[in-house]
Amino acid sequence: MKIALAGNPNSGKTTLFNAITGRVEHVGNWPGVTVEKKEGSIKTSWNPRREKMIIVDLPGAYSMSPYTNEESITRDFVQKESPDVIINIVDATNLSRSLFFTSQLMELGIPVVVALNKSDLIQKKGIIIDSELLSEILRCPVVRTVSTKTTNNGLGSLVEMVQKAFKEKKKQQPLHIKGVKANATKEEMGQIDQNRFSVVNEIVKRVERRRIDSSHHTFQDRMDKVVAHKWLGIPIFAAIIWLVFSLSQSWVGPWLADVLVGWIDGFYGLVEGVMGENVSPVLSSLLLDGIIGGVGAVVGFLPLIMVLFFMLALLEDSGYMARVALVMDPYFKKIGLSGKSIIPMIVSTGCAIPGIMATRTIKNERQRRTTAMLAPFMPCGAKLPIIALFAGVFFGDNAWVGTSMYFLAILVIILSGLIIKRITGDTSKSYFIMELPEYRIPSVKRATISMLDRAKAFIIKAGTIILICNAVVQILQTFNWQFQVVGQSAPDTSILASLATPLAWIFIPLGFGIWQFTAAAITGFIAKENVVGTLAVTFAVTNFIDVEELALVTGGADVMTVFGIGAIAGLSYLVFNLFTPPCFAAIGSMNAEMESPKWLWGAVAFQLGIGYVLSFLVFQLGTLFTTGAVGPGFLGGLIASLMMAGYVVFLIRKNSTGIIRQVAEKVA
Amino acid sequence: MNISNCELHTEYIIASIIATEADMKDFLFTLGCYPGETVVLISRLPSMYVVAIKNSRYSIDDDLARAICLREPVRSVQSTLVDRVV
Repeated sequence: MKIALAGNPNSGKTTLFNAITGRVEHVGNWPGVTVEKKEGSIKTSWNPRREKMIIVDLPGAYSMSPYTNEESITRDFVQKESPDVIINIVDATNLSRSLFFTSQLMELGIPVVVALNKSDLIQKKGIIIDSELLSEILRCPVVRTVSTKTTNNGLGSLVEMVQKAFKEKKKQQPLHIKGVKANATKEEMGQIDQNRFSVVNEIVKRVERRRIDSSHHTFQDRMDKVVAHKWLGIPIFAAIIWLVFSLSQSWVGPWLADVLVGWIDGFYGLVEGVMGENVSPVLSSLLLDGIIGGVGAVVGFLPLIMVLFFMLALLEDSGYMARVALVMDPYFKKIGLSGKSIIPMIVSTGCAIPGIMATRTIKNERQRRTTAMLAPFMPCGAKLPIIALFAGVFFGDNAWVGTSMYFLAILVIILSGLIIKRITGDTSKSYFIMELPEYRIPSVKRATISMLDRAKAFIIKAGTIILICNAVVQILQTFNWQFQVVGQSAPDTSILASLATPLAWIFIPLGFGIWQFTAAAITGFIAKENVVGTLAVTFAVTNFIDVEELALVTGGADVMTVFGIGAIAGLSYLVFNLFTPPCFAAIGSMNAEMESPKWLWGAVAFQLGIGYVLSFLVFQLGTLFTTGAVGPGFLGGLIASLMMAGYVVFLIRKNSTGIIRQVAEKVA
Repeated sequence: MNISNCELHTEYIIASIIATEADMKDFLFTLGCYPGETVVLISRLPSMYVVAIKNSRYSIDDDLARAICLREPVRSVQSTLVDRVV
């Protein structure tokens, strides 16, 4: 039996899906969190007879006529993939809008079971709904549910009703709406929908009583006045973001990381002891330095990432995200985007892939593509270890390094947005409308579940992709092309060195024209965590985090000597890794959302250019200010940067003449 | 009169929607925002308006606020409140 879960945005579909299947899909308190369909089977605790029940969570939709991309996924699924039963989640606090969609779903000829969700909230709001009468009028089962609760939530009876509806196979009668027919024209549809709303309004009048009018000024409205205040809005947003990152990177994260690294060190010692002296040095170094050292260097930063995910989950649950969108809208409009673009960017601070996918809720094509291109500039969880490492090694763990990277990212996004707006020459404006979800106290339990789930994914990634990459890097740097073991004295003759060295000269103007850094930047495209792992393996530094002190890096100065670059080159390398294209998986997501090879390659080239030029500026200007002279390779880097800038200017010019020509043709 | 220049906390009936983007009119319709329905302006934020349509809050920008044209108010929210007390 295949069951579709459909309903209005932010009515709690994914929360119900998670509760009923035991899955941990991303939930959040704003409309448009789910942008693709997800399948799961119903937990046996809800399904004692163990019937085969597959449930499909769908993106929220207001009606069967989609407005944005993710809404079409829902329409297409219920129309074309003919599920056996539809569970229609109805937000009990907004019955009239929800029932509009219900009445459309009932016309598909598929049995519908209504889940009257958020039933706990209606009591608080003084709303009384006669669900029996509603069921009678709709001629379909109506079950009260509270998907945020673990017990007494109505899910058991919901599953029972679904099974019953499936077995009966009785054709449900749709509501009688005047004029409904299969091939209605657009004008006819307009009239039908008017009739539909009148029928729905009549139903609501009969089944619902409200003690408090919803247009009354509430506590929620007063909160909005503060968080979206003319002068306070942006500082509040900045303070919240600062709090999220400083907790994860400067306070709680490092403290937890300290404990974990102690365990990794212990494990390293244990394995070393078990192997003893008789194991071949190549094998022992592959296992110890390549695998345990490399993976351990990455896993050591796991607590930082976990704290970040926990904080982000709390933020997403609070209802604040939709307010950020409205605070940022006027500013984003200036760079040709809208407030909706901020949500993919905030989601990207966890991981760029869901961030890029979140752009589906943006209707305007250029805005959607531009947002998918810019969102990966936000430092994601995988880039956190790189930030923490470089802040520790070169800047004595200063918190400003991490925070400034986020603000630099915002600055880069604004500048890039402006450039892209000029290149595309698209000045089309779009309206901004967003439903404001109610604020709520974020659930620590939900945040913990989300954090643990993402930590699990991180550990799996570290144990697979990152482990393999580190092993390969270790092998490539152990042998030369004749498959002889490279001696300690000549590490530059290894396969890895000979592959990376030819590329390293490109980075001389950026201050890190050393093959190890080049190799790490390249493995970073597979997964950004690899940057730290590869550096650990190639420089044979197995432990970046101090066990004794509350410092992220043991003897920053020692590691700095090993790295052989100064603080400014370190900062330049950090900037390069943060602002060049994201990992391959994220590029794959960009490809899927942009739906245009031209845009994709343009985006990758643009990101490479931004990373290179920014890194060049950091290194050369930094060197100029500190030593009074420019760094090595200045002229070469300058020429490369100017050529890139020149090409951008050319594209803008080409476009503006194109526009003039278009206008001229129109006039003619 | 439209949402950008109407009174706060007053129930208005929507007269017409003049949106340049064709789909927007249809989208607003699905939210229950169409001629004949009521709308209440909850607050004015910098270049943003919070409106109540069918028991939900939406934030809309200046352009959209101007696109939703209203009729003169029929009655104030206070009186409807009394009407609906159970």
